[in-house]
Amino acid sequence: MTTTTQRVRRVLARPETGALIGALAVYAFFFAVAPTFRQFDSLATVLYQSSTLGIMGLSVALLMIGGEFDLSAGVAVTTSSLTASMFAFQLTLNVWMGVLVALVLALAIGAFNGIMLVKTGLPSFLITLGTFLMLQGLNLAVTKAITGHVATDSIRDMDGFDQARDLFASSVSIGGTGIRITVLWWLGFALLATWVLLRTTYGNWIFAVGGHRDSARAVGVPVTFVKVSLFMLVGFTAWFVGMHQLFAFNTIQSGGGVGNELLYIAAAVIGGCLLTGGFGSIPGPVIGAFLFGMVSQGIVYANWDADWFMFFLGSVLLLATLLNLYVRKQATTRRLT
Amino acid sequence: MTGPGPSAVAAPLVELRGVGKSYGTIRALHDVDLTVRAGEVACVLGDNGAGKSTLIKIISGLHRHSEGELRIDGEPVRLGGPREALRRGIAAVYQDLATVTLMPVWRNFFLGSELTRGRWPFQWLDIPGMRRVADGELRAMGIALDDLDQPVGSLSGGQRQSVAIARAIHFGARVLILDEPTAALGVRQSGVVLKYIAAARERGLGVVLITHNPHHAHLVGDHFTVLRLGEVELSAPRADVTLDDLTLHMAGGAELAVLERELANGTTDSTADGTTDGTTDGTDGEDVTER
Amino acid sequence: MKRAHRSALAALVAAGALLAAGCSSDSGGKAAQDRAEEGEVGQADTPRMTVALITHGAPGDTFWDTVREGAETAAHKSNAELIYSSDPSVSGQANLIQNAIDQDVDGIAVSLANPEGLSGAIAQAREAGIPVVGLNSGMDAWRDLDLLSFFGQDEIVSGRAFGERLDEIGAEHTVCVIHEQGNVGHEARCAGVAEAFDGETEVLYVEGADMPSVRSTIEAKLRQDDSIDYVVALGAPFALTAVDSVADAGSDAEIATFDLNTELVTSIEEGDIQFAVDQQPYLQGYLAIDCLWLYHTNGNFSGGGEQPVLTGPAFVDGENIDTIADFARNGTR
Repeated sequence: MTTTTQRVRRVLARPETGALIGALAVYAFFFAVAPTFRQFDSLATVLYQSSTLGIMGLSVALLMIGGEFDLSAGVAVTTSSLTASMFAFQLTLNVWMGVLVALVLALAIGAFNGIMLVKTGLPSFLITLGTFLMLQGLNLAVTKAITGHVATDSIRDMDGFDQARDLFASSVSIGGTGIRITVLWWLGFALLATWVLLRTTYGNWIFAVGGHRDSARAVGVPVTFVKVSLFMLVGFTAWFVGMHQLFAFNTIQSGGGVGNELLYIAAAVIGGCLLTGGFGSIPGPVIGAFLFGMVSQGIVYANWDADWFMFFLGSVLLLATLLNLYVRKQATTRRLT
Repeated sequence: MTGPGPSAVAAPLVELRGVGKSYGTIRALHDVDLTVRAGEVACVLGDNGAGKSTLIKIISGLHRHSEGELRIDGEPVRLGGPREALRRGIAAVYQDLATVTLMPVWRNFFLGSELTRGRWPFQWLDIPGMRRVADGELRAMGIALDDLDQPVGSLSGGQRQSVAIARAIHFGARVLILDEPTAALGVRQSGVVLKYIAAARERGLGVVLITHNPHHAHLVGDHFTVLRLGEVELSAPRADVTLDDLTLHMAGGAELAVLERELANGTTDSTADGTTDGTTDGTDGEDVTER
Repeated sequence: MKRAHRSALAALVAAGALLAAGCSSDSGGKAAQDRAEEGEVGQADTPRMTVALITHGAPGDTFWDTVREGAETAAHKSNAELIYSSDPSVSGQANLIQNAIDQDVDGIAVSLANPEGLSGAIAQAREAGIPVVGLNSGMDAWRDLDLLSFFGQDEIVSGRAFGERLDEIGAEHTVCVIHEQGNVGHEARCAGVAEAFDGETEVLYVEGADMPSVRSTIEAKLRQDDSIDYVVALGAPFALTAVDSVADAGSDAEIATFDLNTELVTSIEEGDIQFAVDQQPYLQGYLAIDCLWLYHTNGNFSGGGEQPVLTGPAFVDGENIDTIADFARNGTR
């Protein structure tokens, strides 16, 4: 076997290669059928839609590589924005106080998931399903009890709002096209996460606890720490996205976020992360989220009948995943050394 | 890394005296003696349920013995857990727990004891260093891989075991406990593993080889202990045992002699019953008929 | 072997043909639907334009389908192309508005489920010079957002009207069934009912996405408290489910609802459901698109930019059901 073919195979065996090929195909497709899709403005819209999904996708992917799921991630986003908004509004504080309290709460939710998981040994599916439902109930009940409505009051005119909006929800002009700041955060977080996953001890541990928990424990990897911290990382991104939602839309409806957890998981899986853990990458979920944003906006740019939206979305995602599978199979068929 | 020091000559690395273990009312192990010296391979043989796994668990610190004495470097100890055993230089390599299959070879080699550069939080993996060391250690064991980035799962079963063995040696193990390292392997792959066991012995390690295959044991063993129903059936140095002896003891020893007589008398009905009673393992039965 | 196959196939085809010929239904079915849909509308000869209708409706919701039906008709009449899209989440809806701006449409009609959240996207549309009209929800916010007009029903007002109607009938204890936790419009309706109704009003949350659960939750509530004499549903499908719940619970409670659909018309005719408050979704969609066309071609706008155009509450009960029934069966009421 020559080194060139070996190198090609190694590239093909990377988790994100299939998703990348799928994304390029989808991009080319919409580029051909939807003229509006070709504009930079449209790309910015697609990137924005991808970014909030993508930021969550990063931490959910890391968690999945570490062998666990978090079904509560979708509503945790809403929980953190509700907390920040209500805390600041009800006590008439600088909004930054609310932002901080929400961060603490979001991390606590993650820690709760992780500790429950490690202590009980139950599958994360059950634990986080419980958290998901509890948070969904709490979001509505607490919001209703405190504000009397099902949505929070606008905090637009409060101290610190403008600064916080600059950080979480502003736009940056690049070459005349307004790029939402979440896109930059998304890519920044992705770079950081790539470095952590591939170049640090902690990243090594993530692969190990997801790949074979008992082996990892046997060689001295602190499994409990890794799992709990991964859940807290999901909490962190839920907080970040929650803050974006709050400062982009000023008020938050308490029923939001339900169902998004599956999209986060989908982004990670499309990006080549194994549902069973131990395998995956960071570029993978980035591409997965981009693919998702591209399809969901592209269908509208192409002006296809909205009734078919979910069908198209589902079939494109399925095709991308199949392509992913095919590419990986081609690459990992047993090597003869 | 660690050669046999002067003290190793005086006291065995690990010594069991009259060790026994009961789980509630069930007695899994009784009155077992075992000595592991540096540069020796001590083979523990036995059928399923003979008490082999209980023995490993006691030596590697997973379980505590309830009778007798466990000495490490001549000093009686009760191990608190696998980490304490590791600290004392005893490393167990379990067949199914050896490696994380999806991770590259070099990451597996250093898992849990990674080499790093820089200062926290800007601390990163010393990847070139880890590759160099892993490659060196593997080559020292006679394993040459052209691609350290391939996942361990793509290695052959024998190579996978060997990576785990090389890792244990690199991180200071003086006693290696190998749990059925050849059980799931073909003839050639078993040969690979046995060569690495021999290599480990040459480097002055004490090895406890757990197996139910007398052929494999006889190829590398310096001392043989056959367990049967939790008790020692045979304990002898290499000089005093032939492969036939080992096979005979493994297959049932005295009971087998009775069986042989019965077969010679030609009672066809009891033949079938006798064979199944006398040998629990199909391969062992074949060995008997071959002779 | 082959011959056996072939003759079996022939028998099957023959049987199928017989079935089709002999057993066709004389009433109902697709044929009846097709007959009802006769009557093409004319079309304006104004230049071709493109308009976007962006709602917060969940896919498959009959209500939003009726809105869309009205919008399609108006668009067809106005020689306009309609781009319909919807997303229940505010971020999704904001993105769809951005999407419409990217496509440089000639007008946007948007339902304002969360006006505050959509304000940024709408402002961008206004900056891009695209006229925007509101429909359905967001009655108290459309002027602040600088929209042309608004078409819809005031949820609180219609809730109050509902409550007054309950008083007239002589109801004493109602349960208001909310099938979407956290929906502002739903909460407002129940609040309006509670405000105007003299008797006791309770709110019951049900899992709207899971009909069997809706059915059993309402049943459980009726069993638990037999003094309930009116079930107030907030959507036609839920009212129809409540009919079953009432029967299962052996309760004497009557049922009334917000919004209308085809099956509900039948139930009102048969007396299973007492009345419905219709906000005329078809009208909302139709008027919103028509308004954009008028503005585009003639600079007119409804309501003078000051007042919303109310499309409800229109009561549908046993007395006027006959006139409405036929339209509802077309999916236009």
